[in-house]
Amino acid sequence: MLKAVNSLGIIFFPAFDWSISPTHPEREERLLYTQDQLKEEGLFDIEGIREYKPGVASVEDVERAHFCFPEVDAVTTRSHLISAGGAITAAKLVMDKVHDRAFALVRPPGHHAMKVVHGSRGFCNINIEAVMIEWLREHYGVRRIAVVDTDCHHGDGTQDIYWHDPDVLFISLHQDGRTLYPGTGFPKECGGPTALGRTINIPLPPGASDEGLLMALDRVVLPILADFQPEIIVNSAGQDNHFSDPITNMNITAQGYAELNRRLAPHLAVLEGGYAIQGALPYVNLGICLAMAGLDSSGVREPGFDPERLRQPRKVTDYIAEVCEIAGGLYFNPPKEPKDGVFADKWFVRRKNIYYDTDEITEAQTEMLRLCGNCRGLLKIESRSTNNPLCLGLEIPFHACDECRDLGYKILEESQLKGEFRYIQFVNKREKEFVRYGF
Amino acid sequence: MLLGIDVGGTHTDAVAVDRNGVAASCKVRTDHADLLVSVRGALENILSRVDRAQVRRLNLSTTLSTNAIVEGRTEEVGVLLIPGPGIDPYNAMLCRHFHVLSGSIDHRGTEVKRLDQAEVAAAVDSCLKADIRVFAVAGKFSTRNPRHENAVRLALCRGEGACARADFLTLGHELGGRLNFPRRTATAFFNGAVWRLYNRFADAVEKTLADLNLGHVKVNVLKADGGTFPLALSRRMPVQSIFSGPAASVMGIIALCDITHDSVILDIGGTTTDIAVFAGGAPLVEQDGIHIGSHPTLVRALKVHSIGIGGDSALTVLNGVVRVGPNRLGPAVAEGGSVPTLVDALNAAGLCALGDAEASRSALAVLARTHGREPEALAKEAVDAAAGSIHAAVREMTAEINDRPVYTIHELLEGRRIVPKKVYVMGGPAEVMKMPLFRKFQLSTEVPPDYAVANAVGAALTRSTWDLELFADTEKNVLFIPSLQHRENIPRTYTLEEAKRDAVRHLLGHLGSLGVVLDSAEAQITRADSFNMVDGLATVGRNIRVKCQVKPGVAFRLTGRA
Repeated sequence: MLKAVNSLGIIFFPAFDWSISPTHPEREERLLYTQDQLKEEGLFDIEGIREYKPGVASVEDVERAHFCFPEVDAVTTRSHLISAGGAITAAKLVMDKVHDRAFALVRPPGHHAMKVVHGSRGFCNINIEAVMIEWLREHYGVRRIAVVDTDCHHGDGTQDIYWHDPDVLFISLHQDGRTLYPGTGFPKECGGPTALGRTINIPLPPGASDEGLLMALDRVVLPILADFQPEIIVNSAGQDNHFSDPITNMNITAQGYAELNRRLAPHLAVLEGGYAIQGALPYVNLGICLAMAGLDSSGVREPGFDPERLRQPRKVTDYIAEVCEIAGGLYFNPPKEPKDGVFADKWFVRRKNIYYDTDEITEAQTEMLRLCGNCRGLLKIESRSTNNPLCLGLEIPFHACDECRDLGYKILEESQLKGEFRYIQFVNKREKEFVRYGF
Repeated sequence: MLLGIDVGGTHTDAVAVDRNGVAASCKVRTDHADLLVSVRGALENILSRVDRAQVRRLNLSTTLSTNAIVEGRTEEVGVLLIPGPGIDPYNAMLCRHFHVLSGSIDHRGTEVKRLDQAEVAAAVDSCLKADIRVFAVAGKFSTRNPRHENAVRLALCRGEGACARADFLTLGHELGGRLNFPRRTATAFFNGAVWRLYNRFADAVEKTLADLNLGHVKVNVLKADGGTFPLALSRRMPVQSIFSGPAASVMGIIALCDITHDSVILDIGGTTTDIAVFAGGAPLVEQDGIHIGSHPTLVRALKVHSIGIGGDSALTVLNGVVRVGPNRLGPAVAEGGSVPTLVDALNAAGLCALGDAEASRSALAVLARTHGREPEALAKEAVDAAAGSIHAAVREMTAEINDRPVYTIHELLEGRRIVPKKVYVMGGPAEVMKMPLFRKFQLSTEVPPDYAVANAVGAALTRSTWDLELFADTEKNVLFIPSLQHRENIPRTYTLEEAKRDAVRHLLGHLGSLGVVLDSAEAQITRADSFNMVDGLATVGRNIRVKCQVKPGVAFRLTGRA
């Protein structure tokens, strides 16, 4: 009988009763055939592989990762909280050493959800990896974490949340933003002033196949991980790079995904996108599960698989080699100064305009990070959107110094007195205090 | 008058039951060399005490197939698989004559790759050359489209009617609609492996009944899921009769006790204690199926967990801590054994006086002296240890049940947790273990009357059950019920409600054709899902899945008697 080399916990939550709309790509049917495939293959009968039900994330679990306006309940449904709860359950299984690895096969996805949330972007409301990571840090004191985002779309939300965090390495492999939503994810986007080189973007040209994906992994991702030495590696496992995906233009196969996972060996994988629900997801998910468990996945073949047709053109290979050269260098030799903001007194200030395509909301925000020197620095974001008037988010980070902590409370008090903010969300991660004003 | 016979490992228990209660019961030693001798002996014993003209039904539970498999007395089976892509099928290689064929069907029942007829012919020839007469055929996703399995049947049998080249053939999709290809393969294999042996036994049972002037009696066979099925059907599905012993016990408790709360059922035997959990008044069914040998199968079973604690479990003392089981090193000292057991501890603690209680006391005294302990205290500690282990196993089992996967938000939020409120104990040591168990569980603990033959009572009263899965794909305009090999065209407008109705209709119709007449209220829809299938931005159809069953239950209860 088969036995997993690495024991694997799978949190499978297809949310068979939730969707954005009946014909939306992110709908009830999405994980239906994956469930059929995993069951029919007898995956859960393999010794060392077990299925678990997800937990439900609490409001505070979400607030550890996000500023939600007007409040968490207004921007999430039960399904979002269960999806994030599923990621947390996965993390718990690994941290408690119940399993070597865990895969949260949950929906809806989350990697386009940014630090501030007014609604849904790219089918995402809350960033389920970030909720999981912040939970890990608070409950297990994990410090250094690497997120490798292999969704076809740039993980702009995760990038935004960890932009100023030197302890979270974020690497995104995705289809070039000039050809696909959300239009970001270029090598020059490499982190804020305190975390330069901790965000690495590897845009791949349309038509890239397994060869190109694995080249980027071998040349850029694995050397950086070897140097960064994370305690936990998370794969933000979007599967829309598949050659049959209806909304992207890449040529990755189930075999490519399995091999990627075998080499990356993430402790945790969290499902993101992937909308070829019949022709790709069942096979890709099976391949990833087998690879994570250290089992042979060479027999996994999706219909329509034709290595000749999917062969990567030479010029695509050459282009990817160049991208690897640039992206890999940014980690080891990051630029001295960030290019996307200004320094004002002791603060670094960035202004951003964000469009929520799914909910058609526009947001304007001013993000301010206190450059402290002793800690990661106090974070302050002023935001207004077509959904909400001016709001304030204030965050005192884990391991904050006394000065930043005290300043946080002082700004909170002043902001309340001035009364210019409709909603205020205040998170003190050091003392685990969560406060909301304005309801 | 209903007869129940439970052929167990040590004893064959039999009862005759009517609405007034147990009219007659007996225990005879099981003759493993010839189970029929035990069945006949038990029957004759019972019939000598009741009016045989009044007997309407005989329900039989037997370890025949189980033992044959455990002891390796099964027939060689030719296994023909059509696995398509995925996990290497050779990981679950079950036997020598194991042939993997090309061809594949996907999760929606679409043929992705044709079956290779030349390969089929070669595999069949190779089996026939080795004198194989029994075959098992399984294809991945054959429960969505049995085309390849049927094609293999055609190739093997060369036409309709009796099969010229095989005595018996099991097609995977006939075993039910549940997904799990390795389990389907193993189930089809075991069904073939015990087929001939089982049918010989069934022939003999029928002949015996005729000899005993009981030809008019309807014979049903117990399944592991707490139901019975007609003998005629069991001849084609003998695998379903495997491991029906614990089910008989559980059904016995249902017949003897009025269970309404979440409860724990403990059947304490000689070597093991079987634990079952009830949600409300109903026993829980294993989600997938039981393991035969080390092979997981699709054979539905009540959720029963066995631990190695029974009356004959040996006592050990390690670092001053007394343990009971899981080993059995012969009978109790009170019964002539040499190693003190739980029964001896119960004797020495003064809780009962089974066999030579004095021998128990001296054996415990010897054990206590070796470890510098007081005999009485040691005996008490052993009894508590046994109760403690059972308690721990029950907790673990309920935690596991409450942890089971759910697939919808509704289930997750509404999913009620099972919190046992009552403990029912049966089996030999039930009465004496009652108080020690009560002290551990701190829950109302009940030992029913007739607890020693509860299993045979369960066998006698268990009703017929069956279950089926229905799939409908309105884009492909097809409805399919694998276990009935029923396929029909449906309109694009076919709905979930129609599917539920059709599932119940087919379930009752099938049972009716087997002579089991039930009211539609007895059928229960256990799962009903309908998914919109979208292509591009338009809904192209619905994928409908319905599961339907006749609830396990008993013909009537024997509760409320003096």
